[in-house]
Amino acid sequence: MSVADRLPGSIGDRLPDGSGDTALVFGGALALLAALFLLTPISATLPGALYVFLEVAILFAIYGVLVLGLDLQYGHTGLVNFGHVVFFAAGGYTVAMLSAEDPFAGIGLGFPWPLALVAGIVVAGLLGAVVGATSLRLRDDFLAIATLATAEIFHSLFVNFRGVFGGNTGILGVPQPIKDLAGNTDTTLLATLLLFGGVCAIVFAVVTRLTDSPYGRVLRAIRADELVTRSVGKSTFTYKMQSFVYGAALAGLAGGLFALYNGAVAPGYFTIQVTVTVWIGMLLGGASNHRAVLAGLAVIMGLRLASRFALGVAPVSADAFASIRLIFVGLVLVAVIRYRPAGIWGDAKELGVDT
Amino acid sequence: MGLAQNVVFGLVTGSYIAIAAIGFTLIYGIVNMINFAYGEYLTIGAFVGVLSAGMLPLPLPVAALVAMAGGGIASLVLARAFFTPINDTGPVPMLLTSIGLGLALRNLIRLTGGRSARYFDTETTTYQFDGLPALAVGPVDLLGDLFVTSEQLVVVGSAVAVFVVLHAMLTRTDVGIAMRAMGDDESLARVRGIDTQFIRDSVWVLAGVLAGLAGVLIGIQTNVSSSTGFSHILQILAAAILGGAGSPYGAIAGAYVIGLVLALSTAFLPAGMTGISTAVAFFILVVVLLVKPSGIAGQEVREA
Repeated sequence: MSVADRLPGSIGDRLPDGSGDTALVFGGALALLAALFLLTPISATLPGALYVFLEVAILFAIYGVLVLGLDLQYGHTGLVNFGHVVFFAAGGYTVAMLSAEDPFAGIGLGFPWPLALVAGIVVAGLLGAVVGATSLRLRDDFLAIATLATAEIFHSLFVNFRGVFGGNTGILGVPQPIKDLAGNTDTTLLATLLLFGGVCAIVFAVVTRLTDSPYGRVLRAIRADELVTRSVGKSTFTYKMQSFVYGAALAGLAGGLFALYNGAVAPGYFTIQVTVTVWIGMLLGGASNHRAVLAGLAVIMGLRLASRFALGVAPVSADAFASIRLIFVGLVLVAVIRYRPAGIWGDAKELGVDT
Repeated sequence: MGLAQNVVFGLVTGSYIAIAAIGFTLIYGIVNMINFAYGEYLTIGAFVGVLSAGMLPLPLPVAALVAMAGGGIASLVLARAFFTPINDTGPVPMLLTSIGLGLALRNLIRLTGGRSARYFDTETTTYQFDGLPALAVGPVDLLGDLFVTSEQLVVVGSAVAVFVVLHAMLTRTDVGIAMRAMGDDESLARVRGIDTQFIRDSVWVLAGVLAGLAGVLIGIQTNVSSSTGFSHILQILAAAILGGAGSPYGAIAGAYVIGLVLALSTAFLPAGMTGISTAVAFFILVVVLLVKPSGIAGQEVREA
């Protein structure tokens, strides 16, 4: 019995009682801390050696939003979306095209960034609806192929339509609101990490609420046995579509945040490696468990951090090192599926896999 | 450039896509997996071919045979190491494994083979056909002179030879008949005394051999680089699904449709847009999945 349960109902209801609510409070606190650095003259000074940690941690927060959305689709609903990066890219490119001023190449309309961010989420969600409408009735592996192909196609569109998407250069001149508010580099990095960490925690709270509710049970029932779920009168296609669109919209949010942090988008940021990274994180941690997928992602991002240091001492060129890293990443994916199909912290029984 | 010239390009593209798509679709039909790493098998074959032709040096047809052997061995070894152990876990883990393996192979090849493109040393002869009856649709004169190179003839000729041999194999030999039986109903095939593991291994070897040949043919048409296979995997996939995944004859038909559409689309796309040919292949794929998800000649792929 927790403290909250012993309080009179009216107060107890308002206190956090689950991991979702704890995350909500945590996320709010992080966002407030970020605001403290951004809206007051308080500034931070960091040792230069910490920069690389902060950069990877910020990327972790962004990918964290991605992996939570992907887990909603795969871990809870069983939808094998292997083109998650396309929704990430849709958010990023929408924000960039709407908000960039003087973009060098491609479209930059110079609208205010909050409007662009909302549009980025909406566009990613709409793209999710289109892809879902054409693909969600397909068998699992065909869905994976259809989504993967979608991502590859958009990648080639980004590269080839220079007048619209800026080609290989991408779109520069995207506003960086945090950088503008913070003033110096150290404060920018710290505030970005706090704010994005807060967003990630709030997303965690929202998806936890969603999946702990009866709605989440329907999603997991679809994953376990779609036919049975349909036979008890649930419109499984509608649920699958909703789950897919929510996941896509979250990826759009992540893409928009990335664009506003990075100040530019380019095809090189949105390759199949992003999809593979979040998939490995999800599978390594244990799909269908929000905390586990974030932990798995943390392991993978930890490896990325380690490889940054390894690059400094490795006797090979940066290009060769990049190849070696991707060979390793590919083999990790293979090994996880073979030896830890339920993930490190996952529930094998829940997922219905043999370990 | 006349429309007929584009048709020639389409037939050539369709030919090497068809050879690869047959291997891809046999794996799908008999091992029951979508092997996304299959594009890398083409790259392996192309590299084995270009290295044995360039360094040893071997005459081109012998190098092609070495490439086919290399593709077959690589395919079997990779299958034994990565796919056979997880055969029972279902299509999704198999697909994800192939994606991881493909990423690793592609970068392994880039690491060892380098980023620069390599070329087969071919002696091109160009055959010119003029005086053909001019095809005219409406007011547009579509056919000028028609050019065909010796490489293009080699590619199309190889494809026809593959189709004939494959058809004979699937209808006349024990292994081929057993493959078809396994594609139809694996448990029934096992009950009838077919050594299913041996047949699976045969399919892996055959698919690798075909990938090796397709890689070499792409190589003599254009060049060989670490991205050779990956840049063709979506076209192979589209051809196999268009033809009905699991059906070798459907894959041939699908490949020529893809090849012709790709070639003809360049006639209508503005200059500088030719890089979006994969987008065109995918567009065909989506349309097929929407209209007839089972493909031209295939089994049911829809679950719902």
